[in-house]
Formats: sequence, structure tokens, C-alpha cells
Amino acid sequence: MKRPWYNFLYVRAPILKIGLGIGALLLTIGLLLFLGVVEESRMEAQTANWDGRAVEKGAEIYANNCYNCHGMDGKGLPGVAPALHSNYFFTQRLADVGWSGSLKDYIALTVAAGRPSNVNMQWAQMMPTWSNRFGGPLRDDQVNAVTAYVLNWEKSALTQGTEDNPDPWQFFANAPTRAVAGAEGTAAEAAVVAEPTGPRQPQELFVSMGCGGCHNLDQPQAADNRGPVGPNMANLHETAGTHGEDAETYVHTSIVNPNAYVSEGYMAGIMPQNFAEKMSEEEIDGLVAWLLDPNRVR
Amino acid sequence: MAVQPEIEKKSVVQTVLDVADDVFTRITAGIPAGEVRRMIRGEAPGRPNPRLKPHSEAFLLHIKPTYYHESVTKFTHTFRLGLLSTYLFFVETITGLILMIWYAPTPERAYVDMIRLLSNVPFGQFMRDMHRLGAELMVLIVTAHMVRTYLTGSYKAPRQFTWFTGVILLVVTLFLSFSGYLLPWDQLAFWAVTIGTSMAEAVPPAIVGETVNLLARGAPDIGANGLLRFYLLHVLFLPLILFLFFFVHYYKVVHFGISLPSDEEEVGQDTANKVPADRRVYFLPDVMIDEASFLIGFTALMVFLTAFFFSAPLESIANPQSTPLHTVAPWYFYWLQGLLKIADKMIAGVILPGVLLVLLMAIPYLDRNPSRRARDRRVAIISGLVAGIVMVIWSWMGTPYYAVQGAPAVEVVQKLMPEEGAGHVRELGYANLPLGVYDTREHPVTENEEFNHILHQFEGHIAHFEEEDPSFNTPYGVLTVSQEQPSLKRLTWEIHWLSPEGVEDTFKRTFFLHENSLYWEQYGLRDFSFIRPAADLAAEE
Repeated sequence: MKRPWYNFLYVRAPILKIGLGIGALLLTIGLLLFLGVVEESRMEAQTANWDGRAVEKGAEIYANNCYNCHGMDGKGLPGVAPALHSNYFFTQRLADVGWSGSLKDYIALTVAAGRPSNVNMQWAQMMPTWSNRFGGPLRDDQVNAVTAYVLNWEKSALTQGTEDNPDPWQFFANAPTRAVAGAEGTAAEAAVVAEPTGPRQPQELFVSMGCGGCHNLDQPQAADNRGPVGPNMANLHETAGTHGEDAETYVHTSIVNPNAYVSEGYMAGIMPQNFAEKMSEEEIDGLVAWLLDPNRVR
Repeated sequence: MAVQPEIEKKSVVQTVLDVADDVFTRITAGIPAGEVRRMIRGEAPGRPNPRLKPHSEAFLLHIKPTYYHESVTKFTHTFRLGLLSTYLFFVETITGLILMIWYAPTPERAYVDMIRLLSNVPFGQFMRDMHRLGAELMVLIVTAHMVRTYLTGSYKAPRQFTWFTGVILLVVTLFLSFSGYLLPWDQLAFWAVTIGTSMAEAVPPAIVGETVNLLARGAPDIGANGLLRFYLLHVLFLPLILFLFFFVHYYKVVHFGISLPSDEEEVGQDTANKVPADRRVYFLPDVMIDEASFLIGFTALMVFLTAFFFSAPLESIANPQSTPLHTVAPWYFYWLQGLLKIADKMIAGVILPGVLLVLLMAIPYLDRNPSRRARDRRVAIISGLVAGIVMVIWSWMGTPYYAVQGAPAVEVVQKLMPEEGAGHVRELGYANLPLGVYDTREHPVTENEEFNHILHQFEGHIAHFEEEDPSFNTPYGVLTVSQEQPSLKRLTWEIHWLSPEGVEDTFKRTFFLHENSLYWEQYGLRDFSFIRPAADLAAEE
């Protein structure tokens, strides 16, 4: 009978079989020993890997949901939401709010449950509840991921406090820090930004004054499409003149004295009332003209 | 106390030796130490043959034949594929039981448990990789076992029913593998199983299909109930079915014997019970040595593959709200996915596989050819080969290369940095991505050779799609790598092109990459870069 080409696979001698079996057994033991030796560093690398991936996931969630109010690099928007990428936030915040747990728990709690507080004055928007346990959109693992992302700012936040790298934290008016003032200069002092020279651009003002936190520039305000906290502004040039004054005066008044006109369905006192102090007259006029421009350029 | 009479006669040493031999004989179920010595030396057994005793005494051996026909003990006759399938089921049971310790089948815990298994359990990743590799090998080897049986015509009389139960075992193996697929609760698992169970929905009439789907998923969509059901299927129901049919199958194998090579056995001839005395190969010791050494060798191979070339994938946690691009079934269902692309769900997903299955089971009853010789079975062998080739073509059609190209810009980014899994850029890693803005129109070159390779691929893919797709004109891409946070880089892929009407269009996709993230491919050399030289560790401390 003709032998097939794969006949070499057929081992006949029992002693050879036993030898191969023992060799394979030793090889298996050797491989397992090798794996055992590197197991500790493998587990370390895997732990770091999944922590890193959580930060990546958190970054995505932050970019989609949080940066509108807390700023692209987490430095907050004045009047809208506090800085997270802040030395104060990482070193002093827990002591000031009287939180005895870890910063991680504090962030996770705030993200998950929001801040159900109506004692506003500083932050225009309430922190919404994000966890799906409380009616928000995020699962637990996503809350943890975004917490990991915020905590990942620690390294660069701790270098803040110098003149060219100030701490962006802004205090509630009625809640100063319990850190001893004056000793090394508080974070609040570090946060004072030097007066810029010349009028600032309206686009820049819209972001830095935190308008974008409540007013959407891309959506028109309509009965079936209302901004949740402040009116949308895509069609402001059409609607501004319908309040009994010309459009420019209406918008100008609404910036310097927000409670003069409160659109129906919105609450008075939400919009900060100190914009007249924070912007020059020239800047406000520029902002008004830009907001009313039908072909507004971002 | 008087000395016992035996000791008085035999001396203490001899008595102790006799007792030891007695214990040894009990453990081996009837083989004294001297007989083991004679086995190893290759000497013939005494008469009556004491090596038959374990087959009647020991439960585990009573189902094994005491001797085989010499012709079927050649490795190259069966390749031990049936034995190997059984052994893999055993391996899967052991590794599966170990994995169960760290696993809870709920959506809240399943995925977190996977991460914990990988990062906190010594040999946890090894066990998981081994289990996954074993599952894929089992599908492969059970299929190979069937192909071998088909090609040698071994399904013919009297072994028709053996083949029939074998087909059932193949189906159960496929379902076992597939039901385990969902358990890690990642995107890969979730979407593969969502697609898989949605085929059940196509079973006519509609009320039956919907009910089957509902029963499998436990709700209109896969959730906590679906996961629990698949878990119970995987660890309890399907293994029990497999166990049952394995014994039916094996009983038939022992009863009719393994078919001899076609020249030595006519169809219908009983060769199991009429083996000439000079052609008998006894299980003890010859076949046992052969099987044991073969299985040890195979285990070594599996451990080697797991250690260096196979890593079970784990993608992002299952998200019912977002379907990843290019969702694929496991490779052994590519053929089904390919079919689903060219035909309606009811035809491709239910009727055709059903007909194929019935045909497969009915082969021994349809094939009336009275010969098992290859030269007499040209039609059967050629149609088998054609069926195999068709399977391969369907499988190829099941891969994303066939008929599911998305928009060119999306595909370019997907090739370099896929939504799920590794991809070249992630494999290159954080350290090899220099910060900057890279515009393909400027053919940027950096100091990092590997990163240049990525940029080159980026240009190449864009050029490729410009040629292929008429609606993708004068495209260019911009990759921006920026520092998002300490140890976190942001990669923004932007692709600009002109539509046929000359309107500029843009696609933008942002990914983040952390310094410590490791991404891996399922097949391929494992990355051992986590092993750091002792000097590094010392420097850190």
C-alpha cells in the first residue's frame, strides 16, 4: 500500500512516544513557570491599561457633555461652572466644603447626582444629574470614567499658582476658602486675570463670559425648540425687535440688566448681573452687534 | 502478641512489599507493579491477560475497548481528531469552571469582572485566553473530524447513526462557542449575539420567530435577562446536551469500531468484533501510551500558543445605543454572515442553514454507493470539496471586505484607528505619536520612523479611495495630535474632500490615547513590553 505524504506524522516506537510526552510535559511546565515569573508585572500593566482606558473613555464623555460649561481644558467658565483643572480644586476644595471622603468620591457623587441646589448666584446652571440611577444618561462605568478623566488633571493642576500659570478657580461670593489667607497668596488672588489691552472680540467674550453655557448660538428659539436655561440665539436678529424697543437697545439692556426683560418661561436672577462691570462699553456694543448679525461668524 | 503467621513465614520486608503491591494493584484496578514493568519493557502479557482487568474493574476504562484493530491505531488514519475533540471539551470544562469563580452574569458586573480577571487574578488572563483558544480549536477540530469521516466514507453502514449524532455534536459545539461569546459583555459580544439572535426572529411564521427570539433574549433586546439565559445555556444546558450525545456517539464508536481503511473493510462488514488475534493492539499499554503522549503534546502546543500567539479580545463595554462599525460574527459564522448579505434573512438565516443541516445529517442515508474506496466515490468527494470551497467563499463574503464599505473618509480612519479593537495607531502607542499637525498635502516627515509609516498609510488610504470612489475628489487629511491632559493625547482625524458637485465636505473623528493603554489583536505575537528590566524598577523606587 502506498504511504501518504503525511506518513511521517505516524510515530510507532512506544519509547519515542513516551519520550515526546515527557518532553512536552517539561515544555509545558517551563512555559507555565515563565508565565508565573512575569505574572506580577503583567497584572500591573493590565491594571494601568484599564485605568488608562477609563481616562480615554472619560475624555470622550467630557468632550461630548461637560466642556460646554467646564471649559475645554477644564478651567471652568466664569459665572457658569467651576474649574476642575485647578490647584485649589485638587488641594483645598474638600476641606472647604467639609467633605470627609476622597476627591474621587466627591467627583463621582457630583457627576452622578448633580447639585440639586437652587442657591445660585455664582453658577448660572445647576449641575444636572448624569447617572442613569437618577434619571441621567450615563451608566455607572461612564460616571467612573469621567471621574478618572477629571482626576487625571491632578499632575498639571498642582503646578498651577504661578503668574503665567494661574489657578483658574473662581470663588462663590459668599464662600471664601478656609485656607489661611495671605500666607502664600490664596488661589483666589492667583485667579485675578490681568486686564487685557484693547477691546476683546465678541466671539471671545461669548466664551469667556460663559454665555455659551446657557445660550445656544446654533439653535433658533421657537415654541417647540426652547433653550432649557436661557433662550436660544440663532434667530435673535428676528426676535430681538419684538419687545417694544429697537433690537440693539433690547439686547444691550438684557446684558447689563438681565432682569429688565425676562422672557416668558425663564426665571429672573439666573443670568449674572455684573456684566457691565466685567466688560467695557465698547466691548458690550461689539457683542450686541455681533449677536444681532444674521450672518454671525463664530 | 504473637507474630502473625505470614510474617513468620515471609520476613518483614517481603510482607511490606506484598502489601505495597496490593495497594498498587487496587489503584491501577488490577495491574500489579511487575506487570507495569513488563509493559514498559514491551514484553507480552501473561495468560490470562492481566491487562484486561482494568477494563472490567475500572469505571473510567470500561467504556474503552480492550483492543483495537492494528490499522486504526495509525495516527495518520484518524489523526486522533475525535479524541482531541473530547479532550478539548474537558479542557473547556476545567478552564471554564475556574473562570466561573470570578464571574457574575449581570450587566453591572460581567464586564468589570473581566477587567478584574485580567488585572487582578494571577493566571487570569492565561485562563481566559486558554478557554477562548480551546473553544475556537474545538470548533476547528470537530469540523476537521467530520471532514475526515466524510472523506474516508466512514459514515456508511453500519455507522450511519454515529455520523448523525456527530452532526448533533457539531451543532452543539457551535452553539456552545457562540453562547460563550456574549458573556464578557463587551461590544464585540453584544452585537454579534444581537445579530445572531435576530436570525431566530426570521423563523416562519412570525409568531414562532418572535417567541423564539424573546425566549433567547429574555426581552425584546438583550439585557440582564438575555445575559443570564446565555450564561445558563453556556454553563449548564448545552454542556449537558453535549455530554449526553457524546456518550451516545462514543457508544456507537465502540460498538461498531472505528472504520478500517477502505481496502480492508467492506461496507456493512462488522470488523469491531472480529479482529484477527495477530492484528490486535491492546489499549494497555500501547494505545494508552499513544493517546496520553499525544494529549500531553497537544496541551504543550495549546499552552505555547496561548502564551505567545493568542490573546482573547476585550472591547469596550456593551452599549446598546451604539453599533460599532463593521460588526462581525465569530469566524466560524462568517459563512452565515456572508449569506445574510446576499439573501433575505428568512432564506439565508433560517431556511438555507436548516436545509444544509438536514442534508448533512441525512448524508449516510442518501449516499447509496456501496464502496468506501476513493476511486469509487469521485462524485461524493468532489461535491464535498465543492461544498468546502463554497463555504470558504461565503465566509470571505462575511468579512467586512465584501460589500459593506462605508463612506471613504470613515473607512480611512477605521483602517488606522478603528472604533473598537487595536489598529496600527494604538499598537504604535502613546510614546510614538509626536505632537503636531500633519497635513497629507505637505507629506509630513517626522523623526519617528514608525509614525512616518502611519502618516504614509494615511496618505495611501486616502489616495486609494480617491481612485475608487468618484464622489471623493481631491481629498486630503489632517491629523492633529495634541496633549489633552498629562499622559493623555488627543488625536483628531480630519478628512476634507470635494463632492462631485464641487461642494467641500469634511469628516472629523476624535480619539484619545492614554500613556498606559495597551491594545492587542486577537491573533499575533503577544506584546511582552510590560516586562521591564530590573534596573528600571530599581530606578523607580
